[in-house]
Amino acid sequence: MQDKMQDKNKTQVLTKARTGLEHLIKTAGKSLTVAGTSVARRDDPLKVTGKLKYGADYPDEGFLYGKILRSPHPHALIKSINTKKAKELEGVVAVLTAEDVPGRNGFGAIIPDQPVICGDKVRFIGDGVALVAAESEKIAHEALKLIEGDYEPLPALFDPRDAMAEGAPKIHESGNLLSDDKMVKGDVDAGFAEADVILERTYQVPFLEHAYLEPDTTMARLQPDGVMLVEGPMQAPFTTRRNVAPVLGIPINQVRVRQIHMGGGFGGKEDSPIDIGCRAAVLAWHTGRPVKISLEREEITIQTAKRHPMIMELKVGAKKDGTLTAFQGVIYDEQGAYASLGPKIPPAGGSHVHAMVMMPGPYEIPNVKVDAYLVYTNHPYGGAMRGFGAPQVHIAHEQMMDELAAELGISAVDIRRKNAFKLGSATATGQVLNQSVGLRETLEACAERFDWDRRLAECGWVDQAKTKRRGVGVAMGWYRTSIGTNGDGCGAAVHVHEDGSVLLYSGITEMGQGAFTVLPQICAEELGIEPGDVRIVQPDTDLVPESGPTVGSRSTTLMGNAIILAARQVKESLLDTASMMLMVPTERLEARGRKIYDRENPGKSLGFAAVAARTMASGKRMIGQGWWTPPPPSLDGHTGQGSPYHVYTYSTHMVQLVVDVETGEVALEDYVAAFDVGKAINPKALEGQIEGGVAMGLGYALMEEVVLDHGVTQNPSLQGYLIPTMLDVPDIQPLILEVPNEMGPYGAKGIGEMPNIPATPAILNAIAHASGGRVSRLPADPEKVFWAIREAGGPPQA
Amino acid sequence: MSTMELSFKLNGRALTLNVAPDTLMVDLLREDLGLTGTKAGCREGECGACTILVDGTPMNSCLMPALKVQGREITTIEGLEKADGSLEVLQEAFMGEGASQCGFCTPGMILTATALLKQNPDPDEGEIRQALSGVLCRCTGYRKIVQAVKAAAKARA
Repeated sequence: MQDKMQDKNKTQVLTKARTGLEHLIKTAGKSLTVAGTSVARRDDPLKVTGKLKYGADYPDEGFLYGKILRSPHPHALIKSINTKKAKELEGVVAVLTAEDVPGRNGFGAIIPDQPVICGDKVRFIGDGVALVAAESEKIAHEALKLIEGDYEPLPALFDPRDAMAEGAPKIHESGNLLSDDKMVKGDVDAGFAEADVILERTYQVPFLEHAYLEPDTTMARLQPDGVMLVEGPMQAPFTTRRNVAPVLGIPINQVRVRQIHMGGGFGGKEDSPIDIGCRAAVLAWHTGRPVKISLEREEITIQTAKRHPMIMELKVGAKKDGTLTAFQGVIYDEQGAYASLGPKIPPAGGSHVHAMVMMPGPYEIPNVKVDAYLVYTNHPYGGAMRGFGAPQVHIAHEQMMDELAAELGISAVDIRRKNAFKLGSATATGQVLNQSVGLRETLEACAERFDWDRRLAECGWVDQAKTKRRGVGVAMGWYRTSIGTNGDGCGAAVHVHEDGSVLLYSGITEMGQGAFTVLPQICAEELGIEPGDVRIVQPDTDLVPESGPTVGSRSTTLMGNAIILAARQVKESLLDTASMMLMVPTERLEARGRKIYDRENPGKSLGFAAVAARTMASGKRMIGQGWWTPPPPSLDGHTGQGSPYHVYTYSTHMVQLVVDVETGEVALEDYVAAFDVGKAINPKALEGQIEGGVAMGLGYALMEEVVLDHGVTQNPSLQGYLIPTMLDVPDIQPLILEVPNEMGPYGAKGIGEMPNIPATPAILNAIAHASGGRVSRLPADPEKVFWAIREAGGPPQA
Repeated sequence: MSTMELSFKLNGRALTLNVAPDTLMVDLLREDLGLTGTKAGCREGECGACTILVDGTPMNSCLMPALKVQGREITTIEGLEKADGSLEVLQEAFMGEGASQCGFCTPGMILTATALLKQNPDPDEGEIRQALSGVLCRCTGYRKIVQAVKAAAKARA
């Protein structure tokens, strides 16, 4: 494993700009009591009894129901929107058009380019052209039908390559090419000249839908004090607030946003709450009454953010022994109608730049050139979906690695062993990975648990009739912790009370990933008390410090560090009191097991609560505040060189499956997924992330696709958009490895998104191994697998 | 629209209500009776979050006219808790195995598993997966849910 001494030496040099010592929280390797144990999720008793209230479960007496009228055209000028008849319908309280938006008629997580209510044109079928508020949902529905829209359709663009072409109709005034980014390292021409084998492949992936089980809902109301309150399931309360305020034309501090527990998010609830939150707020503003907007399942698919489709062209060169010499790639990244979370937030934020940086994979490649185009089209827009651009490029590079291995006659595992990152490797951006690099360890651990060599040898025909064939597949992956922007900081506050109970103020949201369990664990660990002594408040922008969004696998690490700093500040005050009470210098005091005691004489101790009471009675500090920002990211705008994300999580997956070569159906049999997570703060919750992520990756591989025809979503409901059921997902064996992150709480780094990423290509590789059929345009549904086998000239005979 | 009288048993208690014929069972439970443990995930019978037991059989309440439950015994997630507040074995098993993440599918999963274990007290993995395949989960990958049902079966043995 890692030489800890070597690690400590390496982590001294963090950035050129600053000493970086403030980034070292110095908790990795600490002997732990509550962090690292599978503490039960505190909200579980509410979940199993049906008592946990989600957004739609809140009483809504006195509320008006809001609905959005959407464009019938994918691209059109609006000539008029006639709301007269709708306004006359009994029970309708307001029908609003563009001129009724009190402030900025635009919202968006990065660029506010999406109209709250469209005035001059519409850019996709999900675009909103009018808002209705009525006494019941039924009446609101009726009112929508009475609104008359007159449009002049414009030519619409549905392929990013068409949208980029000279003379293509402009979707936005600024042009259709939203971003053109490059990554250049070394000299790819020289690299290709050195190669013994060069392969060129194109991979294509479609729009995906998050399909969180809980539909989006929001409630907006003007409080008696004039503050606009917006509540609902959401991953980004602060981003929501900074959109609602300008839309209403009021300062940020006049808006209050409160998160309600989510029934799943996966990145979709990063910006769908901005959409319906701004619209509900505008309706509440006009009517003076509370307004609820709830999206129906079909509306969610049609209107809200999706996973970006991509066309990825790869050209990769390798030597006979499998060493990679050059990687050239082009990405056509389809943004859809609005910017959402695609474009660059300098230096390395946004999904597009992230995809570019990740494109060559976790391999040492001396020569790299990537051109990445982010293009508007008249389709639904790409936003954040678990992995944020990384899943798409992994589907490309992991399949390419297998294709190269096959071409060279070496094993899929060996080609990865040859090139995989290790401590000290340089990435395609030239970043030297100087700590916490457990990639190779995950490969070896996975291969051992999966028993790769034995299973490989046992692959082949399952039945005498030769209709079903068994294969195995492997894929590796890496994923960042933090989002690569300059503003990726977050704050926390820890308030100790006079009876020893604690309130934890953090803006990180709970969507089932376990944040409300893990973050109190970290707080309790630092204070030396039990997780049950710490109550984390419901994220409310009136109460909690700016935290940034719950995305990018950043929460445990960044917020965990902020909580540790906050806890330390108040702990200092408590230890000061204890020192006086025990007549022992503070340096000798330890806080552990709800006690504060003299390390040299543990019998000399006080209860945590007693110390808290005395600290309060002495008028001393009872609250600590902490702020943590990762080391400043860097990424050159022209060459794509720099250190965009401060640490990465690594993973290897292996899968065994059977392909029915006559029907193209795929059945998964066994699955092992190994991760280097730095430190598992709550191992059971972490396993849950792994198991759920793999299922999501499986869906991407085999069945998920938002089908669009001339801009119209063909499968907006769960009848047509298929997600994996209990019969599709095999038993998954998660393996957790820990190569500590010196800049994470107790060594932790992120886990939320890593799990679904290698799953998709591992399955595609196994299908190719089993059947000979390589599906390069997803999903690999039975029809595609069937034709891929035919195209390959039939399955392997042996 | 005029209402009709509906009499049925809900979580062990007899109820008589006046119900409009176009009322769906999921809305009767959630809006009229305030029992929000039953969820509406898709309103088209695909996701299973609205599952209730009708005479012990798991059914989607989102497509069910409320009047259809005339004379039946309905169990919702709220009905599993015992009178003294203690939880059913399945509920304990879900917590013990960490089988809930966002929790939205949890009521549907627990009710469906309740029906399974009543009819088959010692199901194997394949039988569990088959029985619960009508309830979708996007968070867990199903593994810990299967483990929870196995653990509950064992505990009840």
